[in-house]
Amino acid sequence: MLFLNNINKSFGKKKVLDDVSLQVKRGEVLALIGPSGSGKTTLLRVINGFVLPDGGDFYFDGTKVDFSKKEMLRNIRKRIGKIYQQFNLVERVTALENVMMGALGKYDKGIDYLMTSIGFFPKEVKEKALYLLEYVGLADHAYTRVDRLSGGQKQRVAIARALMQDPEVLLADEPISNLDPGTSRKIINLLLRISAEKGITLICVLHHLYYVQEFNRVVALKNGKLYFDGPQSDFSLDMARELYETELEEVYFEV
Amino acid sequence: MRYSLPSPSFKYLWWLLFLVVLYYSFSFSKFDVFALVEGFSNSLALIEEMIPPQFSNLENIINLTFQTVAIGLWGTIIGSILSLPVGFLSARNTSPNLLVYYTFRGLVNFLRSIPELLYALILVIAFGVGPLPGIIALAISTVGLLGKFYSEAIESVDQKPVEALQSTGSRSIAVFRHAIIPQILPLFVGYNLYLLDHNIRVAIVLGVVGAGGLGVELYSQMRAFNYPQVGAILVVIVLAISLIDRFSAKLREDIQQYKLLAYHTKTKDLILLASTFIVALVSLKFLPIDTSELIRGFKNLLPLIGEFFKLDFSELKTYVLLMLETVAIGITGTAIAVLLSVPLGMLMARNLITNFFVNNVAREIANFLRAVPELVMALIFVSAVGLGPFAGVLAIALHTTGFLSKFYAEAIENLDYRPIEALEAVGARLTQTIRHAVIPMILPLFNSYNLYILDRNVRAATVMGVVGAGGIGFELVMRIKLLEFEKVSVMILVILLTLVLIDYFSGYLRRRLV
Repeated sequence: MLFLNNINKSFGKKKVLDDVSLQVKRGEVLALIGPSGSGKTTLLRVINGFVLPDGGDFYFDGTKVDFSKKEMLRNIRKRIGKIYQQFNLVERVTALENVMMGALGKYDKGIDYLMTSIGFFPKEVKEKALYLLEYVGLADHAYTRVDRLSGGQKQRVAIARALMQDPEVLLADEPISNLDPGTSRKIINLLLRISAEKGITLICVLHHLYYVQEFNRVVALKNGKLYFDGPQSDFSLDMARELYETELEEVYFEV
Repeated sequence: MRYSLPSPSFKYLWWLLFLVVLYYSFSFSKFDVFALVEGFSNSLALIEEMIPPQFSNLENIINLTFQTVAIGLWGTIIGSILSLPVGFLSARNTSPNLLVYYTFRGLVNFLRSIPELLYALILVIAFGVGPLPGIIALAISTVGLLGKFYSEAIESVDQKPVEALQSTGSRSIAVFRHAIIPQILPLFVGYNLYLLDHNIRVAIVLGVVGAGGLGVELYSQMRAFNYPQVGAILVVIVLAISLIDRFSAKLREDIQQYKLLAYHTKTKDLILLASTFIVALVSLKFLPIDTSELIRGFKNLLPLIGEFFKLDFSELKTYVLLMLETVAIGITGTAIAVLLSVPLGMLMARNLITNFFVNNVAREIANFLRAVPELVMALIFVSAVGLGPFAGVLAIALHTTGFLSKFYAEAIENLDYRPIEALEAVGARLTQTIRHAVIPMILPLFNSYNLYILDRNVRAATVMGVVGAGGIGFELVMRIKLLEFEKVSVMILVILLTLVLIDYFSGYLRRRLV
């Protein structure tokens, strides 16, 4: 599904991605870990075309991505859902409208494009958005303004927005860093359930190691370099200690 | 229907109401596209006549500029001192009882609602032409503004540090000095700086009704069609205002960054206080006032005040119609200002247009529009497009474009980029992103500014008539000059009632926008 080959990226003098290669199969579920500033977020932003790599190739579903072609990037983005640490919702409008926005990429031609540009969505979008809100457990809050929702509820709205795209890949950038432990557990479970039920490839950046055991495959970055890539069972405690350059207990308890 | 509405349909009723109001405002304020085109070329011709400005009279102009600054300074000083007790008595937590609280709150609101120019008009009758009525007018209106600001600052004092100091066993004087003063002093000084800035601008305009300063000279040169001289005065006004603007902005910034009025800046604070004192004393040189004048003025004023209470409602209908025209001028002026400010604000926003040159040119245009008082603009437009509400509309529109575009640019610069990126990540095109992420984030902010400006513009429109630019102001000046105060007070009542209604309505809309 995704194939990154020797991706390099520098911001100024700082090398953020250093010869990173990664292959992800359709439907695979992986956790992306590493200390702050190790390049996790940048890697996700390469995948949905927000960061133009300095070197290396990126293949999406077998096609080589040309980062200079805006339409091509947009067409790839339509197939990739993303959820964020800060949720990135439009706070002043309802949960329903935010979810419907997930369909904007699909309605990018003809009369539908015109209508969505002035603010009207086709009926089927609304029906589907309502269904998705029910699916993520927010049926009662469809018409609630997002700024009145809790953090966990906001993240559910964001997940529903991503699902509105019928994505093949779901990128989650530290989806639980702003949530309390109980809510975090529910959101991780929801993401894993979605991936399993719909066969969506899931890449989840995790700030802490607490939930890594839920993922089959672990990819670790350190200083922009690939530090580990393999099944979760092979990721040893000593590796974690070296990755975070700290005592292991701290790594685990820092939830 | 295949498409569903994005928001509940009652929202569209608001839009309908809005359009109806707008239509009537435009027709009531005699807005006319052809007159606009003609007025534009006339204005250009007028400006051309001002070039090159004639500085032969520069010494006199500079003197009058200092007099204007002195009027603003003394108006602020006197008003500020009077505001202290008023502020404490109209703050809920320091007022001795509810009766005092409501009385002083009402007084402050009343004083604030009446335009400075109106005070000056009446005071000029009692005190005669000169800087004295200007200073008193400014002092009165300062109490209206500062009294409110002070009381709000006092009400917002955080009780936690007070409690913390009390719990260490400190005496109440020490608690006041160390827990309360540091909280309110920077706010108070900041408000005073703002008021000084504001009052100097107003002082320029007060001259138009004879209350001293540069405005007197401007008005007489304007009436003598001596345009090169007018040009020179305008240049000095714009320079002086931008200089003062920058100076007070610098001081306010220093206060915010604890470079002034902090524990370690006592010497600097004292120097500042001393220099203010010296400047105030020196500025007296530019104010030819003696005490007999003051006493005579107050003797004249007392019987005048009695006249106000003989309310004469016989021409109420005329006043209401004139007030409607005034409101229409305010609404139309605001609507045009919004239309002009959207593109100008976008050009000013550094994150939207990354061209340094374009940003700065747009910013300077806005600064210029803010620096020329709207009554001065109205004077010019009356010459260009003739007497009537249209000149007032243009003046208000241009002047407030300077404010609105600045607000808009700041709103655009502070736009939350995260939802925008999220929609781009969904594959949305630019127009869709603007409609679904940018507009919902920015429109409530813009509208809140617009309502604030509308409020202000209706108030400003009430005095546009002083220079013949439409509205109730012309009738007001006439009646004051004819000493028919029993009619003046009815007009003031009509004005106050309208302003309260508009204030209430815009406050209601603003709360809905949040």
